[in-house]
Parts: sequence; C-alpha cells; structure tokens
Amino acid sequence: MKIPFSWLKEQVALSKSPAEIADDLIRLGHEVEGIELPRAAVQGVRVGLIEAKVPHPDADKLSLLKVNIGEAELLDIVCGASNMDVGDKIPVATVGTSLPNGLTIKKGKIRGETSCGMCCSETELGLADESAGLLILPADAPIGMEVGEFLQLEEAVIDLSITPNRGDCMNVRGLARDLAADANLPLADINSQTAEVESTVQAVAVSVSADSDCPVYLARRIEGVKLADSPAWMQAGLIMAGMRPVNGIVDVLNYVMLYYGQPMHAFDADNIDGDITVRSAVAGEDFAALDGRKLKLTAGDLLVSDASSVIALAGIMGSEASGVSNSTTNIVLESAFFRPARVSETRRTYAMVSEASMRFERGVDPLMVATAMQQASLLIQQLFGGQIGAITTCGDAAAIHAGVRVRCAVSRIESRLGIEIPESVDAVLRRMGFGIERSGNTIDVTVPSFRHDISIAEDLSEEYARVIGFDAIPEVLPSLATIAPARLDRSIHDAVASGFLQVVSYAFIAEKEQRLFVPADGNDISLENPISDAMSVMRRSAWPGLMNVAKHNLNRQQAGVALAEQGRLYVKTANGHAEDNVLAWLMTGEVARDEWCGSARNADFFDLKAALESWLAVRGLTGRFIADDSIVGLQAGQSARILVGRVEAGRIGKVDGDIAAAFDIDTPVFVADINLDALPEGKKAKFQSLPEFPGVERDLVFLFDKHTTSEAILNTVRSAGGKLLNDARIFDLYQGKGVPEDKVSLGIRFSLQAADRTLTQEDSDAAMHAIIEAVGKRFAATFRG
Amino acid sequence: MSDIEALNEQLAGLQEEALKAFSGATDLAVLEQLRVAYLGKKGALTEVLKGVGKLPPEQRPVIGQQVNAVKQALATALDAMESELAVKAKAERIEAERLDVTLPGRSGPVGALHPVQQGLDEITAIFSQMGFAVAEGPEIENEFHNFDALNIPPEHPARAMHDTFFVKGLSSGENAEPMLLRTHTSPVQIRAMRRFLEEGHEPPLAVVAPGRVYRCDYDVTHSPMFHQVEVFKVDHDVSMAHLKGVLKHFLSTYFEREVDIRLRPHYFPFTEPSAEVDIGCVFCARKGCRICKGSGWIEVLGSGMIHPNVLRSVGIDSSIFSGFAFGLGVERLVMLKQGIPDLRLFFENDVRFLRRMGS
Ligand SMILES: [Zn+2]
Repeated sequence: MKIPFSWLKEQVALSKSPAEIADDLIRLGHEVEGIELPRAAVQGVRVGLIEAKVPHPDADKLSLLKVNIGEAELLDIVCGASNMDVGDKIPVATVGTSLPNGLTIKKGKIRGETSCGMCCSETELGLADESAGLLILPADAPIGMEVGEFLQLEEAVIDLSITPNRGDCMNVRGLARDLAADANLPLADINSQTAEVESTVQAVAVSVSADSDCPVYLARRIEGVKLADSPAWMQAGLIMAGMRPVNGIVDVLNYVMLYYGQPMHAFDADNIDGDITVRSAVAGEDFAALDGRKLKLTAGDLLVSDASSVIALAGIMGSEASGVSNSTTNIVLESAFFRPARVSETRRTYAMVSEASMRFERGVDPLMVATAMQQASLLIQQLFGGQIGAITTCGDAAAIHAGVRVRCAVSRIESRLGIEIPESVDAVLRRMGFGIERSGNTIDVTVPSFRHDISIAEDLSEEYARVIGFDAIPEVLPSLATIAPARLDRSIHDAVASGFLQVVSYAFIAEKEQRLFVPADGNDISLENPISDAMSVMRRSAWPGLMNVAKHNLNRQQAGVALAEQGRLYVKTANGHAEDNVLAWLMTGEVARDEWCGSARNADFFDLKAALESWLAVRGLTGRFIADDSIVGLQAGQSARILVGRVEAGRIGKVDGDIAAAFDIDTPVFVADINLDALPEGKKAKFQSLPEFPGVERDLVFLFDKHTTSEAILNTVRSAGGKLLNDARIFDLYQGKGVPEDKVSLGIRFSLQAADRTLTQEDSDAAMHAIIEAVGKRFAATFRG
Repeated sequence: MSDIEALNEQLAGLQEEALKAFSGATDLAVLEQLRVAYLGKKGALTEVLKGVGKLPPEQRPVIGQQVNAVKQALATALDAMESELAVKAKAERIEAERLDVTLPGRSGPVGALHPVQQGLDEITAIFSQMGFAVAEGPEIENEFHNFDALNIPPEHPARAMHDTFFVKGLSSGENAEPMLLRTHTSPVQIRAMRRFLEEGHEPPLAVVAPGRVYRCDYDVTHSPMFHQVEVFKVDHDVSMAHLKGVLKHFLSTYFEREVDIRLRPHYFPFTEPSAEVDIGCVFCARKGCRICKGSGWIEVLGSGMIHPNVLRSVGIDSSIFSGFAFGLGVERLVMLKQGIPDLRLFFENDVRFLRRMGS
C-alpha cells in the first residue's frame, strides 16, 4: 500500500523526514518496502532571486544575500556557498521548513547577521548524495514557486506492506494514529460537518436479511450531480497511492477509502430497479460483474440486489449495469460493514480481489461506516454539486465489536516478553485507542473498535512489545536441556567421501521423464498448479533429475561426472502416500583422465558397483547383485537388483542408450539407487583376533561355460574349501584366443589359513582337491591348472 | 734367490697388483670377480700357497704368517672398497630415481557436499549442541498441519500469501481435504509436539526440524523448492528474551563472529508476538552497502512466541507453558555466509560450482 507522505502530515504534524517516519513505522510493526520521491520533504523550499550580495563583515567565507521570494519584503539570508551571484535563482528553504536531512530552518543570527532562511544545494534537498555549492535554478523559474512544484518532484510516497492483522492501518488515518500515539502528537480531528439533507430527495429503501453477514448497512441518494473528472490534486494523490483515476464519484470513494479505511460503493440510481436488499445468494443466481465476468453465485454468497437483479457482490465488486459513469446524475451511496470471513470466502471462490475486499476481509472500523458516508457526501457535493438525501441505516454499528475487553495479569505479559512493562507505557496504548485500567497486577483493557486482532493476553503482549520496542528486550540464553544426540544420517556424506558430487534437484519433474524410469500405474502424484510441465509430477525416481544434471554439465565441457543425491520419492499408496528416502548415484564419461601418469578411462558398471559396495561396507552391510533385465530404463544384461539381507534395497545398471541419447549424452551412463528407509541396520563390527600363523595362497584356473555366474562359482568353491579357506577371489578372466567361444577362463586365487598352526603342503593340497572336485561336479568346467 | 725370497717377492707383487686392481674396480660385480680371482679357492693367493710345500718345514710358519698377512690386507681392502662402492651405488640409484615432485599427483575423484547440505549440517549441529532434538515430517502435508493447526484458518488472508502447491488425487480426513506440498517446516511443530505428548512426555520440549519446503513462486529470487529449518522450544516461562538469546547465539555461531541482531514486530498467525529478525550486515559492519541496501541490516528469519491457539491445537495448556519458534531459510543463510550471489546456482548443480563450494 502506498501512502503519500503529505497525507500523513495532514493527520499528524510530523516533524520528521519520510525516512525517519519509515523507521518509526518499522519499529511499530509496519513493513516499509521503500520510500518513493521526495516532494513533501522540500515543502516550504521556494524559488528565490538573488537581488543583492555582499560579503559578511565578520566571516570571509560567508555572504549576505537579499533574496526575493515573491513576497513584499526581501529575505536576508547568510549563505556559505560561493557559486552564486546577483541575478541567480536558487532554492530557498523558508523559516519553518524541515529539510530531508532533518534540519529545520529557524530565523536566527549567524555571526551577528540575521538570516531568515537557507539557500539549498541538491544534497540538502535530498535530490543527490553529493553536490558542489547551491543548486542554481533556470532563469525562467517563477519567483516564489515551491521548488518541489517547479521541479515537478513527485511527492514522497511510503510504500508499505501492511500485515493481515492490521487492517486498521490500510489507510492514512490508521497509520497516522500509530505515529501520533508513538510521538505523543495530536491526531487531527475528522471534519464533523454533516451534509445538509434535502427533504425532496427520497431516502433509499433498504432491507437486510442476512444481518449476521451484514450487521450495518447505510445508503443514501444524491441527485442532480454534474459529474466531471475529479480535481487534479485528487487524481495526483490517487496515482501516488497506486490507484488509477476512473471517474469523479469512484475517485472520491477511493480517496475516502484510502484516507479513512472504509470501502464504499456507488450505484447509478437510475439503473436500480426498486428497493435494495442485502441477502444471501441462492445457488445459481447470475451476476454480471463490473470486470466483465459473468458468475453463477454460490448459496451463501452475500449480495446486494434490487428488485430484478444482483447489483453487487457485497464488499467485493458491483455489477456492470448498476455502476456509475460520467453521464450519471443520480447516485446511491453504500457504506457498510460486511463480515470478514464471508467476504474472504466469496473472494476465494471467484478469485476476485479488490481494494474493497482486502479491507473488508481484514475488518473495517464499524464506527467509521457513517463517518465515511458523511465525508464522501460532502466531497461529492463540493466537487460535483447535487442534492443529498437522508441516510438509511440498517443495523447498529456501535454493537459490532462493542466492549471487547482483555483482562489479564501484568506478570503474564511480562513473563512472555522477558521484560517489565512500566505503567508509563499505558499512555501510548491509550493514545492508540485502548482503554486501560491497571490495578495491582491486573490489567483491564478495552479494545478499540478498529482492532479486530486483539482478544487475548498474548495479543496485548505484542502491543506492549512494539510500543516499548523489541530492542529493549534482553538476550537471555535459556538453560540447556541435555538430550540423547540424534544418530547422524551419514548416507550422502559417505557417497561424497568416495568421490561423488552431491546435487540437489527439484522434487517435481516432467511426467514424460518420469515415464522413462517408472511405468505408468496411476500412482504418480501430480501437482494441481505446477510451475510448468517440466515440474508437474512428484518424482518416483531420482534418475531423471540426475540425468538432467549430467546433461547440463556435459554440455559445459565436462568430460565426465560422478553425482549423488539424497532425497525423497513420492508415490500414492493404498491408504495415502509414501515418501521414501533414497540415495541415488550417476556416473558417466571419464573416471580417469589423460595425465602424465596414466590415460583416460570411461566409467563402467564396475566403477559404480565398487562405489555401492564400499558404501554398503561402511555400514557393515553387503549386497547381492542379482541380474535383472526387467528394470525400466536400464539396459538388459547390465542391470541388477541389489539385495541386502532379504531386503530389495536398490538397483544398479546402465541407462538404456536411447534414453541417454534423449538427454544428449553419448557416453555410457550408469545409475544406482538405494532405498534408505528399507535398508536393514548394519552390524557393528566385533573384534576378532588377528591370525598368528602364516597363510598360503594357491591359484586355480578353470574353463567355465560363458553363462556361469561368478557368484555361483565362488559360492561353490567357498563351501568346498572348508574351514581353512579364508578368501577366494577371481584374479583373472579371459575370453579369446585359446579359449573356445562359449567358454571363459577364470583364475581363482585362494587364501588358506588356520588359526592354530602353520599350514602344511598336505593341508592346502587337500583343500584344492576338494575345490576341484566340487567345481567339476557342479559345473561343466574344465580344470586347466 | 732362495725359494723363500722368491716367494716373498711373489707375495709382495701379488699384494700390490691386487690392491691396485681393487681400487680400480668400478662396481660391486667387478669387485666380486676380483675377490674370487685373488682370494677364492682357485685364486692367486691359493696358488702362492701351493709353493709353500716346497719350503723346508722350519721356514713354512714364517711364510704362512706372511701369506695370512697378505690375505688379511686384501680382505680389508676389499671390504673397504665394497662399502665405498655400495655408497656410490646407492647415491647413483638415488640420483636415478630423482622425481619432479612438482608434477601433479595421480588424479582421483573428489566428491563434495552440496552447499545447502553443508548449511543444513552446520545449522542442525549448532542446535543439537544446544539440546534441541532433531525431527522431520512429511513434505506432502494436509491443510490441517500446514495451516489450521498453525492458527491459519481457511478464510485467513495469510493463507493466500503462501503460494501453495496443491497435489491431485490425494486427500486427508473425513472432509477429504486437499493435500499440498508443505509451504514451511512449521507443520513439524505440530507433529513433533503431538508425538511427544502421545509418548507421555511433558514439556520441556526443544526441537530442530530441517527440511524441504515448496512455494509456487519461481523467479530470480524465488525457487519453488527450498530448505528451511524450524526451531522451537516449549517450557515453563519461555520468553522473548530467551528467543533473542537463542537467536543471538545461533547466528553468532553460524557466522563465526559476534553478530548484532534486531527484531522488528511483524505478523505471523502462529506466533504472538511475532518478529522478523535482522542481523547487522556481515558485509559492511553495518555501515550500509549494496547487499543490505544501505540499511546496515539484513533480514534473515521470522520468529515469535508460539500462539496459544497452536499450543491448544496439540493439547498443551498455554496458561502453564509457553514457547518460542522460528523458521529460517537455509539457502539465504548459506548465500550470506559464502557470498553466493544467485539462488538459482543451488539448483543448477553445475559441477564447477559444487566443487568450488565443496570445502
Ligand atoms: Zn551492508
């Protein structure tokens, strides 16, 4: 909300600059977005013509000027600048003027010479951060004119973001009230003049049936107005306040709303059919709104209607047909209090926000309903003439929000704030409209009609806090509780430790990218109101996100990436939804690069598998990798499920070449994921004594059928090797010359060891024989040596 | 010349010849050959000894002693030469193995934590050390936890300011309320307090809840997904002074220097009083700069005393207990601490950025 600074000054005689007032507003809890343009700050600075200039008798850097500001007498001004001469026009801050730098001009003597004003530089006018000497104005500047006007400075406008609890401050009067109370300055009286009522003008017939939604409704006819555009000063003010001038009547009503906070509405009386009714809508009623929309109303909407149609959605918008235009001569003015929750619900139903609805939703001051009617009537008559009819009043404004009181212990507020609240502070709140009675530790507060946000002791504590100032509250560290420290989740840290870069990608992805790795099964969770198609469905796989990150980086001259991400996957379930915590990996391109000591190598399946194995090993787990050709998005023959214990904990494999190509990636891409929520708890390592006796290593080489898995082979040899077999690992794998096409040559290295003795040749021979025999039995394998 | 004289001469010649040969040896292999040639079983000295047999017995010991002396002398010379050559050989080997130690090490993959993760870890650790327990909650929430229980009823204007993402096809409760992506981590307040009470505990309760949150807002300074940390404490007589104390301690620890804090009254439906928290600008020591827009202050988080309606919604008696709560934006704090100028860098995941910010 934008408030011209001069409007505030009309309500309270502020002597501070707009910037200082902005600080006060911030301290009082009103967020200031900014201050725009300093016209008000140079109010009182006028165009002056230097008619004489002589040196100061007692100070050689000062001059004595005689300046013509268009008044009978020339002003004597002592000036310290040197860049001016007789005949120059300069800005003169007259006595009483407050400059943006906080200086107030007083009549005084400088080194014995009288000075009745000050000649100003750009800096002093708040127009520039630096300046050299006085601002010399053009020769055609009219003598005596306000410099702000001559320079066409726009007025200072404070841009505020009023919090939803402070509807009472969505207008000049309310903000001025806070500022006046804070500075202990009087708040201007509201013009108490009432419009003279012409008995010839008929009162408006109004009936209110929905009186809980509309506890007060005022209407009055004004006849014979000669509508014209609103005056320039009003238009300028409206524009500065961020509103567009529309026509004379609408502008007056907007002005009254901005000033007093009461939204009003005007109907063209000649377009109203009969009496006015305020009632709840019947489902399906038609409403053609001012903004051109045609609505079917919902039962319960609060509306204003005449005998034949809906003429307004109460507190939100009028109808197109009943609105005023510049050809209107007879009008009906409306001023009312509509129940905030009612307006809010209707506004949400039709997504129809207006300046009026914003104020009604936050709650207007019931005692301002009639005042605003008077102010608007007077302004209309003053500007456009017309005869004013009597006000028809339905309901009792004084009954709304009457007698809202909060009684509580002072100590309750004090212990909430951690500070004492001296009785002297009560005066500030009284000036803000609160009735306060203190008796001992009890405080009894009557809440003003415009404060709909205060009903309990805690609300009062905030009032006291903002009036005393949050800075006055000390910083006290509470006593610390000791709790069992949470077990830190090291998942991503361990992935990073093995050389992966952690990425963070959005939880929502493109549906078509989801489909690359997750078959359609109706269990996607998609957004009602996504930012874009690319961010429209909650991810069920981290791989699309990783693919996009890989693509982004490979497009930027990276020869390879190793990425890891921890985050949630989201899926519909039978009784709601699940959010699984996963860790995912992606590797593609170079894992080693060309360098003086080695040559480049691209990532393969076993690079990523090694990363997973070591990640599992750190947690005391081992995984079984089970070939699985059915994983969506992965290439058959290079993909596997990862079994940890009995749990399907993850997947690994090579991304299908066509999918990788769709992401513009031409190196093989390997991905994996582990469901952290499904992963069993690993075993904490237990101590085992280190072997005392030396072990023996023996190698065997066999020819196996090509499709025999190393897992099956190792399982067989391990069980055949008996207790002495410590480890068996494949040290050589060969296919090619000398090996039949359907065979593979595997070299297995066995390490044998006994806990209680040094092994003999016979021991290891026996073990080797047992292994050779078992392999021969289990597989169609040939022992080669 | 007598036989003995001839032998003596022969021995002397042999010794001289051998010593000369030894000192001319250039490596250990040559020296070993010389050892064999002179001192070996079929070596020159053995040949001389064969002549001793021809001598009269009384002369034999004399010449025997001399042969031994020569043998001794040659062995000593050989040993000396051997160690000299060994030293030389080692020196040569060392020289041959000399490296350019300025060549880069063999490269291996270097991982890095995402800067947001680093921020989350640091922030959570500070509160953990202060005795706050870590809690989490779902990201797909119902309206009750995200709004109603936090004193934001449906007609509340603040609800419209949350730019909420709603999800399709999920609902909660009897009235089939729509589900949404949580707009803040505050719903964890409700869940954590409820769980705590259901487990039969009584306050004090102090919780830190990090997590992802979502707002339907996407431009230069807004990301539709970002990270928050919710912090709250409920106990007897918790006051705003405690809130300020905890904020000061946290912010000073996080920024690794004593920071000034300023609270400005604000409005949040779930706290009363509510305050926006500024820190004295860490870039200009409050003198005013581009980053603080000349004000000397930077807004970092929203805070306040938990509204009694919030405590009531979980069944905590607000006449006995009070609490403070605040929620901070992780990206914002990380940007301030690390001097990162643009929010979008976090989600672009450029590996050059990630590597640079990795330490
Ligand atoms: Zn700064």
